[in-house]
Amino acid sequence: MERALADQLETLHADAFGWALHCCAGDQARAEDVLQNAYLKLAQERATHDGRSSFKTWWFGVIRFTAHEEFRRLRYRESLVGRLLAFFIEEHHPAPSRQVEKDERNAELRRCLAQLPARQAEVLHLVFYQDLTIQEAANVMRVGLGSARQHYERGKARLRSLLQPDSPHE
Amino acid sequence: MNDNDLHSIFAQQRQRDHENAPVWRSELLNRPLKPQRTSMRWIPVSLAAACVIAMAVFLADSSNQTPRLSELPPLLDSPPGELFASLEPSFTAFEAPSDFLLPTHLNLHIP
Repeated sequence: MERALADQLETLHADAFGWALHCCAGDQARAEDVLQNAYLKLAQERATHDGRSSFKTWWFGVIRFTAHEEFRRLRYRESLVGRLLAFFIEEHHPAPSRQVEKDERNAELRRCLAQLPARQAEVLHLVFYQDLTIQEAANVMRVGLGSARQHYERGKARLRSLLQPDSPHE
Repeated sequence: MNDNDLHSIFAQQRQRDHENAPVWRSELLNRPLKPQRTSMRWIPVSLAAACVIAMAVFLADSSNQTPRLSELPPLLDSPPGELFASLEPSFTAFEAPSDFLLPTHLNLHIP
């Protein structure tokens, strides 16, 4: 592994975790797994940056794809018993992510984003949280610029209405 | 609520996530290849090798079982002769085994 690549990954590590967290609907344990698997892909050279887009855009695309893989794997693997067991464990032993999440505003934002269509939530996270341009967000999401812009505008309007204190959705 | 408000809300979330982010560990990138993947890579090669060996054994076996025509043992040892050699005596000289029951004067002689 090249030193320059490792430095870039280290610089992006916290933001990459934030993006993985978004892709995993706020599930911290799953986000850590996804990020670790994405790092593993780089270590095993199953994913290599070809320079067509910026490193951050490409890396976030890898994380997004890895999260989708993980989601599909979980969906097929999870049996009814497994889900019941997970529910039981969560009920009696709250996950650390739930314990540390004291910031109500933060939790509320996550709840509101969860109510948006996935594409809208993704583009809003990438633009407002990760400070990417809409074009860069479109590259990460593998959609056209026009489509990303539409998701951005619609998502922003919907998020505003959800976050307003007098919103009927609250 | 304008874009700046949204930016500040997302910035708060970003700050919180950064606090909860796992510690960066560079050894994650130096992890060796998974053994399963390495063995999976050899499956097609080993299958092809097994097919080749099986074909070789089959062909060698089948070539041993079909001897050449020249190597076949002779089916008939006797030299070739007349196929209907018993028809050589004349048909008129034929005597049936019950001829002695007939009276002698009634013997027919066909010229």
